[in-house]
Amino acid sequence: MSVRKSATTSVRRIATLASTTARPTTERERERRRIAVLCLPFFALAIVAGFVPLAMLVRISLAEDTIWMDGWSFDAWETLATTPEYRRVAWNTLWFVGLATGVSVALGVAVAHALEKYDLPAERIVVAAVSFPIALPGIVVAYLITVLLGRQGLVTNAIAVATGQGAHGLASATAITGLFLGYVYSLLPRATMVLRGTYAEVNEQAEEAARALGASRWETFYHVTLPEIRPGIAAAAILTFRSGLAIFGTVLILQSHQVVTLQIHNEISVGSYAPDVAAAIGLVYVVFIVAFTFVGLRFVDDDAVEV
Amino acid sequence: MTGNTSPRADDGSTAAENADAALTTRPDGGSVTASGNRRWSRSGRAFSTLLGRPIVAGVVAVVTAFLTVPVLVAFVSSFAESGSGVLPTGFVTFDHWRKVLGFGEYGVRKNAIPGLTYSLLIATGGMVLNVVIGVPVAYALARYDFYARDWVNTFAILPLVPGLILGIAFVQTYPQHGRSALGLLAGYCLLKSPYMVLTVQSSFQSMDLVRLEESARSLGASWPRTFLTVVVPHAKRGIIAGAIITWTLAAAEFNFTHMVASGSPDPFAMFLYDNIANNALYLQSAAAVSVYFLIVAGAIISLQLLGKRGFSTAHQ
Repeated sequence: MSVRKSATTSVRRIATLASTTARPTTERERERRRIAVLCLPFFALAIVAGFVPLAMLVRISLAEDTIWMDGWSFDAWETLATTPEYRRVAWNTLWFVGLATGVSVALGVAVAHALEKYDLPAERIVVAAVSFPIALPGIVVAYLITVLLGRQGLVTNAIAVATGQGAHGLASATAITGLFLGYVYSLLPRATMVLRGTYAEVNEQAEEAARALGASRWETFYHVTLPEIRPGIAAAAILTFRSGLAIFGTVLILQSHQVVTLQIHNEISVGSYAPDVAAAIGLVYVVFIVAFTFVGLRFVDDDAVEV
Repeated sequence: MTGNTSPRADDGSTAAENADAALTTRPDGGSVTASGNRRWSRSGRAFSTLLGRPIVAGVVAVVTAFLTVPVLVAFVSSFAESGSGVLPTGFVTFDHWRKVLGFGEYGVRKNAIPGLTYSLLIATGGMVLNVVIGVPVAYALARYDFYARDWVNTFAILPLVPGLILGIAFVQTYPQHGRSALGLLAGYCLLKSPYMVLTVQSSFQSMDLVRLEESARSLGASWPRTFLTVVVPHAKRGIIAGAIITWTLAAAEFNFTHMVASGSPDPFAMFLYDNIANNALYLQSAAAVSVYFLIVAGAIISLQLLGKRGFSTAHQ
């Protein structure tokens, strides 16, 4: 009885809220209407282009007949849960992206530190260099890795000339190391971007005090700077990790490591066409990304977040 | 940025050396033991103080080279006749550019200009739509404090659904329109909207929105008029910067396009893919990729003119 009562009250409350928002009489209600109007276009698009397709994904993963989307079955989820192959793909993705995130954030700290603290000779060039790769899609990054490490690559040929070996044996663009560098290429700029924002707010006086009191540069960094930038490092790691999970073009070209995006692509390719399994993997993947982001960001200052 | 604030330099170590010279007697009559002195002057000789800066600078140099050298090599070698050997040789030829863009008689290669134009038009459409949806939500987030604001904020500034998944879902959900220009446009807009929202938001955050709005209101402007003719023009730079960023990113969006695009005309991302994947010739790929580099370079220069530091959503 009480449940029913509280349900009725909350329904009534929502109804009043909706009607006052539509026809406001007080300034407070008018403000609420303004907020609703301002947020409306964004959510209209998000629902039409985002949430509805995601709901459709759920339907596909549960469909018995994947061509006409008829019937219901848990086959795809069962396949996903029982095939060891998929667990391996998940593990592949997590360690690979995790490692790439670690390296990118560490290098990002170094770059952000140098940009903020040192008088670099070509600061503008460094800033441009670490910011423009954000604009490059994964396939272009894959190509740039072959420019360095492919059979006709710069580094490959330089080593070949220096050591007298054949360039074919040395090419590592399509090895896992090449793919790893591709990930770092895409992720490093994102990590640096977040960390630069954090570094701009570091209290320099505390560092100067530490130095004046005789701490070495490393001690100053470790005991003074690092605690200050820790929220930024966490935010950078979260955003970099989730960007890393979404990388697809680079893997599609270099093909050297079976990560989740490549697996999804394979599931909908001709020959192994299983859209229900692809949809199921996709859902797990999206739920993981969303949960990871929300849980992660709870521990971080929201201001540090940039894409 | 450091700008002209003096670097913290070596005052630590010089102070320590001075202490060394003065040694044992202190002005207050006490004495300092040699070991205590060494403890304080340690920073002057610490490994990190001597070598930390060169090492970090070296890391930055390597990172900068890693990020820029392949781009420069690709661009330069797109004009070369031969790409074998350490450095490309045989300059200057426009053959690869002509082949890639499909000018002249080159057999089956089709003209890439329609695809390029098509993509740029869709990117422009996505950009306009992004202004329409992004600016209001950015204003709501920057100006008002409301229930679930944090949630809306997270949704608006994080691309929660990866392009690949969105593409698969999109085609299945809207079988008739999913593969059309409209589908691409909506997808690009949603995928790139965080960049617009963040850029405009950081632009709004640097203004005194409450005072601005209240002044306009007290002078008799209605709220819609205040928003459209006072608030939005003030954030002009942020909006333009966000538009450039979303446009550039949408122009070559691949993951979503790969799933959705149906060909005829081929979007630009598929043109890049065809020229990079599998059996594409090395130097022709270089030319194809260089087309996009030119677009990005144009975008970065425009952003610099607006006073932004490259591809950053942050406001200065």
